[in-house]
Amino acid sequence: MNKIHVNCAVNGDATEFLCDPGATLLDVLRDTLGLTGSKEGCGSGDCGACTVVLDGEMVCSCLVLAPEAEGRSVATIEGVAEGSVLHPVQQKFLEHAALQCGFCTPGFIVAAKNLLDRNPDPTETEVRYWLAGNLCRCTGYDKIVRAVLAAAAELRQERTPACTRPRQ
Amino acid sequence: MTGHALRIIIMPPFDKEFFGTDRLSLAAVNLFDLIGKLDALAPGFAAIAQPRVHLAVDGVLETDWTRPLADASEVIVLPRVGGG
Amino acid sequence: MHAPETMKPFRHIGTRPVRPDGVDKVTGKALYGPDFKAPGMLWGAILRSPHPHARIVSIDTREAERLAGVKAVATGRDFPTLESLVMHVGEGASDIVDVAHNCLALDKVLYEGHAVAAVAATSPEIARDALALIEVEYDVLPFVLGLEEALAQDAPLLHDNMFTKGVKPRPDKPSNASMRVEMGAGDIEAGLAGAAVTVEGRYTMEPVHQGYIEPHACVASWNGDGQAQIWCSSQGHFSVRSLTASVLAIPQSDIRVMPLEIGGGFGGKTTIYLEPVAMILSRKSGRPVRLAMSREEVFRASGPAPGAIIDVRIGADADGRLVAADVEFKYHSGAYPAVDAGAGVSSAIGHYRIANTRVVGTEVLCNRPAAKAYRAPGAPQVNFAVESALDELAARLGMDPLELRLKNAAKPGDPQTSGLPWGKIGWIECLEAAKAHPHWSSPLGPNQGRGIAGGYWGNYGGPSTVNLSVAEDGTFTVATGSPDIGGSRASMAIMAAEVLDVPYEQVRCVVADTASIGVSMVTGGSRTTFATGMATVEAAGEVRHLLCQRAARIWGASPEQVQWRSGEVVCLSGDKQGETMSVADIASRSFHSGGPIAAVSALSARGWLPGFGFHICDVEVDPETGHVAVVRYTAIQDVGRAIHADYVEGQIQGGVAQGIGWALNETYIYNEEGRLDNPGFLDYRMPVASDMPMIEAVMVEVPNPDHPFGVKGVGEVPIVPPLAAVANAIKAATGKRLNSLPMSPERVYAALHPEG
Repeated sequence: MNKIHVNCAVNGDATEFLCDPGATLLDVLRDTLGLTGSKEGCGSGDCGACTVVLDGEMVCSCLVLAPEAEGRSVATIEGVAEGSVLHPVQQKFLEHAALQCGFCTPGFIVAAKNLLDRNPDPTETEVRYWLAGNLCRCTGYDKIVRAVLAAAAELRQERTPACTRPRQ
Repeated sequence: MTGHALRIIIMPPFDKEFFGTDRLSLAAVNLFDLIGKLDALAPGFAAIAQPRVHLAVDGVLETDWTRPLADASEVIVLPRVGGG
Repeated sequence: MHAPETMKPFRHIGTRPVRPDGVDKVTGKALYGPDFKAPGMLWGAILRSPHPHARIVSIDTREAERLAGVKAVATGRDFPTLESLVMHVGEGASDIVDVAHNCLALDKVLYEGHAVAAVAATSPEIARDALALIEVEYDVLPFVLGLEEALAQDAPLLHDNMFTKGVKPRPDKPSNASMRVEMGAGDIEAGLAGAAVTVEGRYTMEPVHQGYIEPHACVASWNGDGQAQIWCSSQGHFSVRSLTASVLAIPQSDIRVMPLEIGGGFGGKTTIYLEPVAMILSRKSGRPVRLAMSREEVFRASGPAPGAIIDVRIGADADGRLVAADVEFKYHSGAYPAVDAGAGVSSAIGHYRIANTRVVGTEVLCNRPAAKAYRAPGAPQVNFAVESALDELAARLGMDPLELRLKNAAKPGDPQTSGLPWGKIGWIECLEAAKAHPHWSSPLGPNQGRGIAGGYWGNYGGPSTVNLSVAEDGTFTVATGSPDIGGSRASMAIMAAEVLDVPYEQVRCVVADTASIGVSMVTGGSRTTFATGMATVEAAGEVRHLLCQRAARIWGASPEQVQWRSGEVVCLSGDKQGETMSVADIASRSFHSGGPIAAVSALSARGWLPGFGFHICDVEVDPETGHVAVVRYTAIQDVGRAIHADYVEGQIQGGVAQGIGWALNETYIYNEEGRLDNPGFLDYRMPVASDMPMIEAVMVEVPNPDHPFGVKGVGEVPIVPPLAAVANAIKAATGKRLNSLPMSPERVYAALHPEG
């Protein structure tokens, strides 16, 4: 079977790869590009551990064929931090102990960041429904939801121009 | 090895599985010695003791089977409970 | 939230610092079981039985071997012939012959999904294609899935050499009952006859899965000289080493197991499934081989928790004093003997003082995957029955269900079911904390109900090794042999920093491989913070002692003239009186004052104490659909002393969520052909974020006097009470008692609309 040649952007970097027509985006990220931060918990789109953002849309990369990435932009967990500076969602996950084993964490962080990119002030219910496609078996979700709400609050603070911020 | 006579209480399933009784009186200097004497009564017991058996000396679970039993009066043989 | 605020003379214990492995885990850098690759690695795949029970007549692998890209094929015949030997598996025990045959079937397949053959090839696609070329001839046998069916006289036998253990006289013919355990006290029939009020009921459930999100995976590389490396995630890499070496009949020191990060285990990763198979494939091909399960394989072939049938009779006198409890349960073992009956017996009714008791557990073999430990293994099932029955009893007595429990609760010194006295347990303290908690007295809305339940788990100590070393700049490294599943690196660093009285960040903790640290038992049984923590404290104390000695020698003082104070050494008398020497000062001179400074603690921890929990659950039942929503949940638990408070709360919250899933949604569904119908997360419905409320974890601290910081295991207890707490809440909301799990919308709807 001939391989397909794909050009896309991964975390902002121009990337090209060869893949089988039936390969998933998750397979290519993990096995071809060495980006193992996206995890495979099920391979059927039910656990969200492989969540990435494709042209701004949150997807399960196990349900996307790799050739579909042609000409598109893929954002993975590896691109969430800016260099060594963690994104507020990552920082709040650490501060709130929102991970135990950490296997589902990349998917949650990518999904939560995507939520906050769209909705800077979600309610607890909105957070819970947005993250309902991500399974966590360790935490019972309590600390995850708190971390996302705390990250939202911090991002709102950051996005407010300094001169209009209330004095501390 | 010698030692003074201890009251040995064998809990299920080991009472029926190995000894046919739940009460024994044996002398042993320590718990390894006791296991050896129990094995003499019911061959095969020593082989499963480490993975399957907990021993309690006078009401306290003991992981050190070399502990001298000179001042002990009762040993309970009970099933290990494996956690997750 | 902290319940009774204890005096805390601690600098670090009970605080909530960021875990040292945190950044790796929020940035995707951490390497888990399926993430590791070795140069030249082959991809393995496993052929699994489509039949729940069949004799293997023949396996023809020739076509598969001829496929281009296939480098090795393995079957059960490639394992050495093993003698029966009962070994530690996790914290339980299994016969190594069963462990081997579960990795690759030999003569019979015992469940749908049982591994039959394996291949290694240059790509995953070729490996999959090769499986289709393996021809297995099966002689299909009748199968049995149900507990009572498996115990029937004419039931198909899984093992024709299985004679029930724990029965006298020894049965004269084999059966599917592998073990019977009976304990008790007093006279059960007389006790029940004398009771003013009695209740009885039968409670049932099918098996459920641990549900870790990371599927099992490993890479093995076994060289021609006999030495091997295995990279895998597990709850205990020393267990992986000892079991793999035993299955292959090779020396343990020839295998070096490198622990990768583990994506959840909950008891299910205390055994091996893939490692010996990957080893055989590697030895045959001369290359490293990866084997990884798909989610479907995880469900079909890795250990679920047993399903159960539990019959309960409980009686009380007119004042609500429990006088008799008779509990008889049957647990699924699946394909091979498991070890949950003893745990179920000791976890059934020991939290109450009852004069007349009888608790009987039977383990039953059936054509399902071999049951494995799942968080407090054996306890939630029987607790569901007992705590549901107690609620019924309270209703009959016209008594507050919390008061009923408080009136009968076991205290330190009271006998457990085994007869051993309880140590310093905090059960009463949990009940009192519940009574005082605002949740207990808060109002409920329409269609809502409140349920409560209490439970416990025995916990464990056991062997752990810790190596604490001082770097040349005076910083510390703690190496343990205990995989970190939920923040244990942070807990070890906290305990070491507490002993050394240095900043938390000055101590870093790693999980060392089997060649780099001494033997340590699995991370499981709620033992790591207790036992590995004890070793950490001992090693830190020894290092502190060595640093004092070293400073004294550098000063030319005697050891008695120096003292450890605020993370440095102070000279108390003589020429240098009042001078201090920092760890950095000492460490930088260590090469010329006796050598590097380090201490190893290898111990078998004793003095563990059980944990007790008490849960309050509010549900709202939709009368139109039967859907049950948990709207408020409070879990109160005696944690001894919380080392890292966040991760203690996290254990409690996670256990509750698993218990709620077990109560409401999760179940194995087999079809008439004996095949699993829901081997995926879509149909095996675990709780998601939108199903759950916040879970308030209330930590009651009744310190363990036999641990340097008072630790009691916390991880397992919280999964025990939720099953009954949810059932009791549904009863309160609807007036209907549901005796079968899961309490799915269709079952709740049927209970609400018995007319159909």
